[in-house]
Amino acid sequence: MHRTRIKLEAVAFTLPSLLLTLVLGIYPIFWAIRYMFYEYAGYGTPKFVGLYNFERLYRDERFWNAVTNTLVYAGGKLLVTLPLSLLLAVLLNRRMRGAGLFKTIFFMPTVLSASVMSIVFYVIFNSYNGMLNQLLQQIGLSRGVEWLGANYAMLTMILIAIWGAVGNYMLLFLAGLQGIPRDIYESASIDGARPAQQFFYITIPMLGPVLQMVMLLAITVSLKGYESIMVLTQGGPFGKTDVMFLYVYKMFFSVASTTAEVQQYGYGSAVGFAAALLIGAVTLIYFYASKKLNSLY
Amino acid sequence: MNRWSKRPSGASVLAGVFLLLVAAVILYPVLMAVLGSFKTNAELNGGGSFWPARWQFANYSQAWKGANFARFSWNSLFVSVAATVGTLIVASMAAYAADRRDFPGKRLAIAVQASTMFISIGAVVLKPQFDLMVAIGLHRTLWGVVLILIAGHAGTYFMLASFMRAIPRDLDEAAMIDGSGFFRTFRSVILPLLKPGLGVAGLFVFRSAWNEYILPSVFTMTNPKLQTLTVGLANLRYGVSAAMQTDLMLAGACISLLPLLLVYLLANKSFVQVTAGSVKG
Repeated sequence: MHRTRIKLEAVAFTLPSLLLTLVLGIYPIFWAIRYMFYEYAGYGTPKFVGLYNFERLYRDERFWNAVTNTLVYAGGKLLVTLPLSLLLAVLLNRRMRGAGLFKTIFFMPTVLSASVMSIVFYVIFNSYNGMLNQLLQQIGLSRGVEWLGANYAMLTMILIAIWGAVGNYMLLFLAGLQGIPRDIYESASIDGARPAQQFFYITIPMLGPVLQMVMLLAITVSLKGYESIMVLTQGGPFGKTDVMFLYVYKMFFSVASTTAEVQQYGYGSAVGFAAALLIGAVTLIYFYASKKLNSLY
Repeated sequence: MNRWSKRPSGASVLAGVFLLLVAAVILYPVLMAVLGSFKTNAELNGGGSFWPARWQFANYSQAWKGANFARFSWNSLFVSVAATVGTLIVASMAAYAADRRDFPGKRLAIAVQASTMFISIGAVVLKPQFDLMVAIGLHRTLWGVVLILIAGHAGTYFMLASFMRAIPRDLDEAAMIDGSGFFRTFRSVILPLLKPGLGVAGLFVFRSAWNEYILPSVFTMTNPKLQTLTVGLANLRYGVSAAMQTDLMLAGACISLLPLLLVYLLANKSFVQVTAGSVKG
């Protein structure tokens, strides 16, 4: 009797959590799966179109442009962020004065709002009278770069993403580095191993599992991100910074100041699903590749 | 012993210079925002000095009153506090039941939580979520945003479960033997012991709710009165006036950044300790 009551109470304790997750977390996924096969503009009756949305996806240049942009964005971001944050972590893992202060500064962007910082970056990067161009002109380095223009907008977005992410990965790497016993380095340096050798022959292999986990997280997070791009360029100019989930967003909610497009819930769901599959595929490829890399050591 | 102690000069100096350089780059935008928020618009557009020629404290009062930042701040505070309290309650209850008791459907409940953390169809979910809120009439209030934020509690749930595992079972078993029931044990034994975990998790939830942009922007498209700081600020950029008021924008940015920045500096240790649980970017 007593036991059943406690079981019931445990179920009752789980219910709010379970219900919220099912209704607001799981149901939307099934909603999307259903509407992938429909054409639906938000009013009238949805029209069943079978696999048409996927055919359209295949021919949709804007989608493939967004896929390319997403890969460039995530790739460019990670190519700089991961080595840089690892380097910072290694440097700060030594006993040195001011390490705490540096950690505080490097991690700070992670705490600040990406969308608000995008506004600040707009003030800094905008071509006409941005602070950065003013600075570059003052020290005579350049007459002004169109940071948010067609040629440089993606680069600027990547720079901003790096700014926001470096501290976060630095901290994860630091946590991993603290798990490596210091004696190993000591005996290595007694044997005459130089810092660079120690880094490649001790730090990297010992950090292996952490490195793999962090990279996996980093890849998926970067492929999903679109918030700061949405605030800063809305995918422009000329679709140069359009990424997958931003493209999806625009199918469902038109963005202020851009021309309002017809909402396309069915096609948008298909694009969202394709994007999720693509991220899954990249993750799997990474999984496979990192297993291969494992056997090399 | 540190690795470079034998040669402290060359390599260490180089490392120090490098660290300072990175720190300067990281600080630059924040510093520019804070200093810029005290300049006049003309000064911002014309370039020139690093420090404001004359500190324009009026920018803040203008943003606070004229650009409605008082209202935005209240909305942000409401969303963040409600989402944090709600998430902590829902997640700690579920984590308590899962960690301390066996009940039918427990494995399923945990699996459902875990799956929401891995499947992401991005912006698509916003539409059905919004429709659900319309169905129960919460789309014209910020409660809809709060509810959706609370629903995304999987990360907090797992974080609290790991804290819960560290609390010795003897304690709550003893309380049960002494006759306190399931709920009372939770309230008067578990929750007090879970305080550090709740604190850290609460900090994280508060941060992401305060910084949330996409969700409140969807919910306030037709109802500007409900805009949070992140949304209101971004909308200043598309303002109707021809000349952009950069000074107000920066003052607004500071109004929305400074509270979190202060909390971060005060709670730096707790922030830094448990980051592994939440990868942001």
